[in-house]
Amino acid sequence: MKVKIKKTLSGMLALTLALSVAGCNSGKKPNPSNSKESNVENSVASSVSKSDSEENVNLKFANYAILESGYTDFWNGVKSDFEEKNQGVTIEYVTAPYGEIVNTIINMAAAGNKIDLLFGENSWVPGLVDSGLASPIDEILSEEFLSSFYPSVLKDYEMDGKTYGIPMYISPFLLYYNKDILKEAGFDNPPQTYDEMLSMAEKISTLKTADGNKIYAFGQTTASVPVSGASLNALIFTMGGDLLDAQGKLSVDNEGFKEAFALLKTLEEKGYNPQNAKLKDLRNLFALGQLAMYYDQSWGFNGINSINENANNFIASAAPLKTATSKGESLLQAHSLILVNNGEASAKALDTFVQYLISNETLENYLQNVTPAYPATTTMESLKLNPALDGAKGSEANVKSQVQIPEISNLHLELASLAQSVTVNNMDVDQAIEQFKVKANEIVK
Amino acid sequence: MNKILRNKRTGDAIFSGLFLLPIILLVGLFIVMPIIQSVIMSFQDYGARNLISGKPGTWNNFENYKSLFRSGLIANSIGITLRFVAIVVFFEFFIGIILALILNSKIKGARFLRSLMMMPWVVPTIVSALIWMWIFQPQYGVFKALVEFLSGGAVDNFAMLNNPQTALWGIILAALWKLTPLMTLLLLAGLSNISEDLLEAATIDGANKFKLFWKIILPSLKPVIKVSVLMAIIENFKQFPLFWTMTGGGPDGATETLAVLSYREAFVSFNHGSGAAVTTIWLLIMIVIVILFNMAFRED
Amino acid sequence: MKQNKWSALKVISRIVLLIVFVFLLFPLFWMLLTSFKTNMEAFRYPPTFIVEEATLQNYVNLFTVNNDFFVYYFNNFKVSGLTTLTTLVVSIMAAYVLSRYKFKWNAALIVLITASQMFPLVSRLISLYSTLTHYNLIDSHFGLILAMTASQAPFTTMLMTGFFDGIPRDIEEAAYVDGAGRFKSFFSIALPLTKSGILAGGIFTFLQAWDDYLHAVTLIQTDSFRTLSAGIALRYLGELSYDWTLINTISIIGTIPMLLLFFFFNKYMIKGIVAGAVKG
Repeated sequence: MKVKIKKTLSGMLALTLALSVAGCNSGKKPNPSNSKESNVENSVASSVSKSDSEENVNLKFANYAILESGYTDFWNGVKSDFEEKNQGVTIEYVTAPYGEIVNTIINMAAAGNKIDLLFGENSWVPGLVDSGLASPIDEILSEEFLSSFYPSVLKDYEMDGKTYGIPMYISPFLLYYNKDILKEAGFDNPPQTYDEMLSMAEKISTLKTADGNKIYAFGQTTASVPVSGASLNALIFTMGGDLLDAQGKLSVDNEGFKEAFALLKTLEEKGYNPQNAKLKDLRNLFALGQLAMYYDQSWGFNGINSINENANNFIASAAPLKTATSKGESLLQAHSLILVNNGEASAKALDTFVQYLISNETLENYLQNVTPAYPATTTMESLKLNPALDGAKGSEANVKSQVQIPEISNLHLELASLAQSVTVNNMDVDQAIEQFKVKANEIVK
Repeated sequence: MNKILRNKRTGDAIFSGLFLLPIILLVGLFIVMPIIQSVIMSFQDYGARNLISGKPGTWNNFENYKSLFRSGLIANSIGITLRFVAIVVFFEFFIGIILALILNSKIKGARFLRSLMMMPWVVPTIVSALIWMWIFQPQYGVFKALVEFLSGGAVDNFAMLNNPQTALWGIILAALWKLTPLMTLLLLAGLSNISEDLLEAATIDGANKFKLFWKIILPSLKPVIKVSVLMAIIENFKQFPLFWTMTGGGPDGATETLAVLSYREAFVSFNHGSGAAVTTIWLLIMIVIVILFNMAFRED
Repeated sequence: MKQNKWSALKVISRIVLLIVFVFLLFPLFWMLLTSFKTNMEAFRYPPTFIVEEATLQNYVNLFTVNNDFFVYYFNNFKVSGLTTLTTLVVSIMAAYVLSRYKFKWNAALIVLITASQMFPLVSRLISLYSTLTHYNLIDSHFGLILAMTASQAPFTTMLMTGFFDGIPRDIEEAAYVDGAGRFKSFFSIALPLTKSGILAGGIFTFLQAWDDYLHAVTLIQTDSFRTLSAGIALRYLGELSYDWTLINTISIIGTIPMLLLFFFFNKYMIKGIVAGAVKG
């Protein structure tokens, strides 16, 4: 008797297993040529809607931002609006975390499944070009459309004489500051030079918030993520320094480079800069009134706003700072579109979609209210900017072009390490730079 | 008779083969093959472009290994990994055995405490990382407040994860928090298996508590200790999400373990050959340690 | 004299117990406390230990605005549950044979299985991805479950081998003489005897699978297929900003059901481990 029950039980176990495996299959996307069943399904589906399925183009758009609450509405709107206006073209979002998305699309491509479009940082472009996953944009986009972009901006996307990827909108690492804190410290205007900033910082750092919390005077991100390294790269540029020479070789034996890290050390010693902070940590502190000034991409505003809706009242921007000898040139940042040519039909749809995305109608409200940034085309010159960006206007043109090398993200990570070694690790600047050179030379060969 | 035996033998072989097939397939396909590929890759110039175009990598005369040693990255990572594993496993065992002894001593509410104790183990690693990041948060973190309070206000800016001297300890705390409960549970299970008679006999013979522990309890626990410590070593060697979420390897490389380094080489720099070289070294170290461990436990 | 010594030991042990439990439970308490704070209060220093303006807004938001979370949650249950099931089936079969039948290849297999527990997942990711793509199993729960089963099975097999070694084989041998086939002695004699071990192995595997991050983040691209850890990292640890109170709320909601489940199964788990894992 007992044995019988056990038998039934084990039979049930086997049954559950079989059922669950079947259940799994139903949770899987129908994929042509996947298995017999889905083949059948597929042929049924295609015979029903054969007439219009022939012109149907599906664009695979890899986008990390759609899942971040600050951006979701915009990107969902883009999909539905575009699909409505362009029958026969569908947008399929491929998602992954910010730090994982490049990796994801490379894996996909290795498996023969190439995306058509990627939304991301301009610093991702060289690596993707090297991987063979970015196509020259003139293969896909019309010449007329391309001619509307500022040539100096497109130059940042050049590798070996060809242009890969295109900016949706741009920003330097600009200076965001808190008007209220500066006023409380007795300053009506933001600083223009690093020396001015340091003398203002002395006063600001004596202030406390209403809760009695410390106020940091000046924020520069130094965390172990590539974008912090990009920001450090910009800091070096504003001080007139270099990271790479025109041939893409390491070039760090210059005053500007050293001054940048000497500044970080000063900031650390005086306690002006939140240690080891990511950009989002700085946004957080800024939103709460605990940070007076900091460098950020213009769209950092979106993050500030999601912590504190009243931040609009005290946020203002200014051009990046200068030294006595430098011009304060920054590094261009852009939310970029990276295009992959997957044949004529999809390239044509891609052209339409990119032109739709980078247009006054699509971007006007977004740039003004959601993600403040500067336009990258002459046709959008007339667009009204978010008031927070007025102060830094013009600095988006005062940028230095960075030579593009595939290893740039890794090199940026090393820059962050260097910043950490002179700050939290308390190392001498010269010694830290020597140590950096050993590692960087293994990256840039 | 002989024939029957031989028949049984063949039947056994078929039956065994049938039952072993699934695991051989799974392990072969998903573990052995990938590892072989990875080891081959570590001797090649292999990047994302090879992956996408399908072009095979090219032999590069140990350049991946040489470069890792030249830059000093691998030496740093090996040191940090070994330190992390040694410290975590030591404290895991130390706290675990003390806790297990106390909970096994018929104290009131032991059953309830045992369940309570297991709570951190159920929390996903990612969430553990977040909890501890929040506790260590440099501006508003409760740990900063604790240090300020304990030091009488002398240290008012303690930031565990921002200081290269303390960052690893921050992650060690998080790892201990998550893993000590399981170690304790295993040791507890071992303790409850020791026969009462043995303990009683020893007590009657006049053994005091400490003698009892060294002479009777510890030796009987040996098999349990072997299993649980080995598990802890392997688990901590492979630890990745805690590091990646809490520090990303920083500050200044202070928490860049082999796991973080290989991930960074392969999936941030897209130098898969170099990433594979890191994991190959990692694997060798792990194998050596496990063999040493087994030898140590066999000898006495 | 002896009495005194004992009580000193008792006092010390109680103090140690208290310290260890504060260490283990305070982070969970702190997480719970933070989840009831507003963002503005959470970002105050020194932190408040009594919530001043307690709010359920974070929970309300989680159920209304940020409710993608529950999709991840459900997926995690599904994937972990099925991974556990397949892992158990695969491991029990292998373990039974390894424990009961002595062949030359057993030793090699045991070495292989032990070694495969040590291989770091990071080094297998690339090949894993291309293998699954080859069989058209990428971006599906089925593929994810297979990959996770492969990662879990070696350990569970070793565990189960221990269990089978722990039960006497006389009964099976007697049954064999009585004419019971190999399948029968496996299903109706060996399996029932290892019930508690299977349960312990199952719970252990489930918790390991529940914790997975790297598999899911690599093998899944469609948001509605994502599991818990990957989903949390993706949606709530974005580049833009930290919403710490929301993160704490998610952690609470993400942990409580598992805690309840665990409290329920705890008894079996401990029993199972006592029964066999440790002896093996």
